[in-house]
Amino acid sequence: MTQPVSPPRDDTPKVSPVEGPSQWRTLAARADVRTLSLLGVLAALILIGGITKPDEFLDTRNLQLVLTQASVIGVVTVGMTFVITSGGIDLSVGAIVALASVWATTVATQEYGFAGILFTAVIVGVGCGLVNGLLIAYGGMVPFIATLAMFASARGLALQITDGKTQIVTVEGVLDLGGRDAYILGIPPLVMVFALVTVIGWLLLNRTTFGRRSVAVGGNAEAARLAGIDVRRQRLYLYLLSGLCCGVAAFLLIVLSGSGQNTNGNLYELDAIAAAIIGGTLLSGGRGTITGSVLGVLIFTTITNIFALNNLQSDVQQIAKGAIIVAAVLVQRRTASTT
Amino acid sequence: MRKGPTAMPELTSRRGMLFGTAAVGAGVLLSGCTSNESDDEPASNDQPAADDKPGKPVTIGFAGPQADHGWLNAINDNAKSRAKKYKDVTLEITEGSNDTAQQIGQIETLINKKVDVLVVLPADGKALTQVGLQAMRAGIPVVNLDRIFNSPQAYRCWIGGDNYGMGLNAGHYIGEKLKNKKNARVIELAGLDNLELTKQRTQGFDAALKNYPNIKKVARQAAEFTVESGQAKMSQLLQAQSKFDALWNHDDDQGVGALRAIDQAGRDDFLMVGGAGALSAFQAIKQDDGVLKATVLYPPTMAASAIDLARALGQGKGVGGLAEFEIPSSLTLYSAVVDKDNVDQYMSTGFK
Amino acid sequence: MAPEPPLLTMSGITKSFPGVRALDGVDLDVQTGEVHCLLGQNGAGKSTLIKVLAGAHQPDDGTISWRGEQVTLRSPIAAMRLGIATIYQELDLVEGLSVAENVYLGHEPTAAGFVVRGKDARASTAALLKRLGHSEIDPGRLVGDLSAAQQQIVSMARALSHDVRLIVMDEPSAALDPDEVDNLFRIVGDLTDEGVAVVYISHRLEEIRRIGDCVTVLKDGRAVAGGLPAKSTPTREVVALMTGRNVEYVFPDRPEHQDLPDPVLEVQGLAREGEFAPLDLTLRPGEIVGLAGLVGSGRSEILETIYGARKPTAGQVRVDGRPLRPGSVRAAVRAGLGLAPEERKAQALLMLESVTRNVSVSSMSRFSYGGWLDRGAEREAAHQATRELSLRPDNPSVPVRTLSGGNQQKAVLARWLLRGCRVLLLDEPTRGVDVGARAELYAVIRRLADDGLAVLLVSSEVPEVLGLADRVLVLREGHVVHTAPARELDEHRVLDLVMEGTPAS
Repeated sequence: MTQPVSPPRDDTPKVSPVEGPSQWRTLAARADVRTLSLLGVLAALILIGGITKPDEFLDTRNLQLVLTQASVIGVVTVGMTFVITSGGIDLSVGAIVALASVWATTVATQEYGFAGILFTAVIVGVGCGLVNGLLIAYGGMVPFIATLAMFASARGLALQITDGKTQIVTVEGVLDLGGRDAYILGIPPLVMVFALVTVIGWLLLNRTTFGRRSVAVGGNAEAARLAGIDVRRQRLYLYLLSGLCCGVAAFLLIVLSGSGQNTNGNLYELDAIAAAIIGGTLLSGGRGTITGSVLGVLIFTTITNIFALNNLQSDVQQIAKGAIIVAAVLVQRRTASTT
Repeated sequence: MRKGPTAMPELTSRRGMLFGTAAVGAGVLLSGCTSNESDDEPASNDQPAADDKPGKPVTIGFAGPQADHGWLNAINDNAKSRAKKYKDVTLEITEGSNDTAQQIGQIETLINKKVDVLVVLPADGKALTQVGLQAMRAGIPVVNLDRIFNSPQAYRCWIGGDNYGMGLNAGHYIGEKLKNKKNARVIELAGLDNLELTKQRTQGFDAALKNYPNIKKVARQAAEFTVESGQAKMSQLLQAQSKFDALWNHDDDQGVGALRAIDQAGRDDFLMVGGAGALSAFQAIKQDDGVLKATVLYPPTMAASAIDLARALGQGKGVGGLAEFEIPSSLTLYSAVVDKDNVDQYMSTGFK
Repeated sequence: MAPEPPLLTMSGITKSFPGVRALDGVDLDVQTGEVHCLLGQNGAGKSTLIKVLAGAHQPDDGTISWRGEQVTLRSPIAAMRLGIATIYQELDLVEGLSVAENVYLGHEPTAAGFVVRGKDARASTAALLKRLGHSEIDPGRLVGDLSAAQQQIVSMARALSHDVRLIVMDEPSAALDPDEVDNLFRIVGDLTDEGVAVVYISHRLEEIRRIGDCVTVLKDGRAVAGGLPAKSTPTREVVALMTGRNVEYVFPDRPEHQDLPDPVLEVQGLAREGEFAPLDLTLRPGEIVGLAGLVGSGRSEILETIYGARKPTAGQVRVDGRPLRPGSVRAAVRAGLGLAPEERKAQALLMLESVTRNVSVSSMSRFSYGGWLDRGAEREAAHQATRELSLRPDNPSVPVRTLSGGNQQKAVLARWLLRGCRVLLLDEPTRGVDVGARAELYAVIRRLADDGLAVLLVSSEVPEVLGLADRVLVLREGHVVHTAPARELDEHRVLDLVMEGTPAS
């Protein structure tokens, strides 16, 4: 054992120039670089769309269309962002959307009208989230496995409810909400819900103890636990939140498509994860950005829109989507490592 | 959600076979398979089956995929109710599965039970070829339903729909409707693009349109046989094409979404032709108050016909109305166009 | 030393990372068969230098000569081919593979080029382990099942499985008990007798005196002294080179406690089967109590059990006379306990977050109204806590990972200071902290005690416990073998106790 020896008080850390007093600026700049690069991608896409199809792309109706199409997956992605930020994953979002949308559109449910459909969709979403949360937080299951199990069961249950049949919505109030007449100041109600969920999500993540705890649990669950955070309860809440978002998304999907089908929400889990990751949320947890996630969703939706307007086929669309995921993540790694 | 053969390499030659053209009237080629059937009514469940006279008892094993789609659900229903019609038929039906390994297991179980005839709608035709061969070697004739096995040795008789024909008939229907219109514009909402059947439907459609020089196909987007994707893709197509005259939609299920998008966009300036033959499509055609004017069949009644074929095979009989002693090795069904004029006839075959 | 050219000559090695010049023209000569020690504070460039030597980093400038010939170490494999093996501080073993599989990972003995001959690998692994004096390790066991010391032996066996001429050891003694250290030194002696050179990195001067031949001191990326004789260079000179200033011993004065208030923490018969025997302990405000013992004596387990991170099998913990719910960290934190755990990065810090958020994480409800955070108040309060502990830089917005080890520890202490915690449990508070920064940390801990905190301190460095604590409990294999005021103990007594268990009269 050595005698610890020490000089009198002087603990100047060995830091490099960039880690000096201007650190906060670097930190701010880094966050900005990430958001700016996403905005840059979006701007480039808008430019491409505007050049290739000036009349169809740069059109109010098209803007409404793109935002409407982004709404359903967007709401799911906000919930997913919280889960990933906390170091988890939710593979069951698509299946929960499917289950909630068919449960809410059965003949029995439709008898209760608008409120019945909305209530059922939300409750089914929250219920599935609760099961996920309990299995993960208190059952000690790995999120990947627990939500994979939910994925399988929810899809199975959705199939059982529908028997493979498409359930058409006959409730006028729900159908009307998806039509042009329901637009308020040119904004579709679906887009308003999406915007509201985004704002609430942003505030929740950045301005509340709930968000802070989610980040802490994702950054270092053991440290969070030893700092006195109830990690398990936090996890439960996070999967509940994701389930809630799925329920809301399911309702939006019912409004949009005027029906419920067990194939709804196909591959939502991958789309939501991809949007969150290219937005800058760390897959390993500890950092999440609602702004980035929403930009990620808008980028994907805009690509799909531009491709469809230019009559490019789905094979090309899929290739481009994959390439953009890779490019976005590479650019982020580059910016993250140089700052 | 997939329907039709996932792969049909011998499609062209099959289509050329005489049965497709020999069919009389619309609907299923052979509504009954045993002797003295001369009725050209379609084989729907409430039609009297040919030669109902009880014959030698036959046990038919039926294995299909998971019924996660309206059409597949209708396949199961058709098979079951057809079998119920015959006192001499016992149907051994398995739990539907999309898992190849599981379906192989189910079929092997049926072979071990020594059923007289097997009717198989494979989840994946190529992957189940071996078990088809196995059954044939065990002396059990196999009726291969719709999704075709890799080898003709794996089945005694194949019966299925005609995807190329669907496209062809849809194209001709639209072509005739727009015959007198100059510079007519047509768009296509296809099904899941990584299925071969989608490509075949598109090829047939394109081939038919070649006969009408005044018509140009201006856009095509692929949906995924789901309402959700139908709504999404259709709304994009409507935004991309401010003016067109006709739309062919491959699938009535995704058509629910497509119609929703058309409604949301407030468009009614074109005619729409669907595909497959869903009940909701038939009802819309009958009401005739929207853009949907017709749909091209991919009839689930083929499952009922498959039961007929299996029964005939089990009892060693031939097909009525034909000179042949034996059941044909291949039957391609006709993809009839259902419009306002004949929709009542098909209403009962529409699936949900 | 041999008259031939040095085994290894590194000259003018320069390596920059974005924003940091980690190495700035470092020279290093290593002779065949010598033990060459590298000394330097954290961040002095030792790790970067050995990574260059291992082929893991490419230098921006400078040359490397191997037995008189200039070479380029393009990759770890290239370095290994020359005969340079590196044993890193963080062991790079695959826990799910067996000992033999780890030793021969990447160069498995094969038949026909690809069939692994497991039996051969196990036999030669057994031979290597025997040579290292650890024939009790079964080559077929999973590495994950071995103790840290045994894993280090496996790491060494892996190095020796190559035709090795130079072994680089990065703080090999850090995780070892004294008898294990003796064995390590014996192995080093054997290796040098065989003509293998060793580059040895350690914080512990006494080790360097025991086995080193010469010393190179690094400071701020430069070699401030090369080839000093290891045995005869005065400590004062070495430390002066490392820190750039003269040093003195530095524990804060121990106040004379007259009437301490009633105990704030009472531990009664607390035990965990297989880890530590029933323990009684009282802690009064203003008092620092030390737990001394070897690795595996149950020190950390005791702290974590008191804190509720582990559930006791017997006994209870009382705070202000009220029993704590066993096995609940939240209950402990609410009652006023705070833990600065041993593995700071893994157990305490949110490395992606700012200092503010690391400090405020346990007190968020104080800055929130119905879950809504008042970030201004949060930042202000966190800043005040860090300022009280003289955390540098004096800017709580910087990411905590950019701080030095000592300042990271201060961030953890600030967390509990802000929380208003009354009992502070410190597990190895100076691990990974620069020698120069320790004194200040000691002063901070004492000041917190003087302000009325009760502190329970665990350290594997006996002088630290003796220098800082008022009272010391000596642990041996989960049992308290002796309790005494710190001033009545000295290092030798404590070492006797922890090793022999015989309480001296």
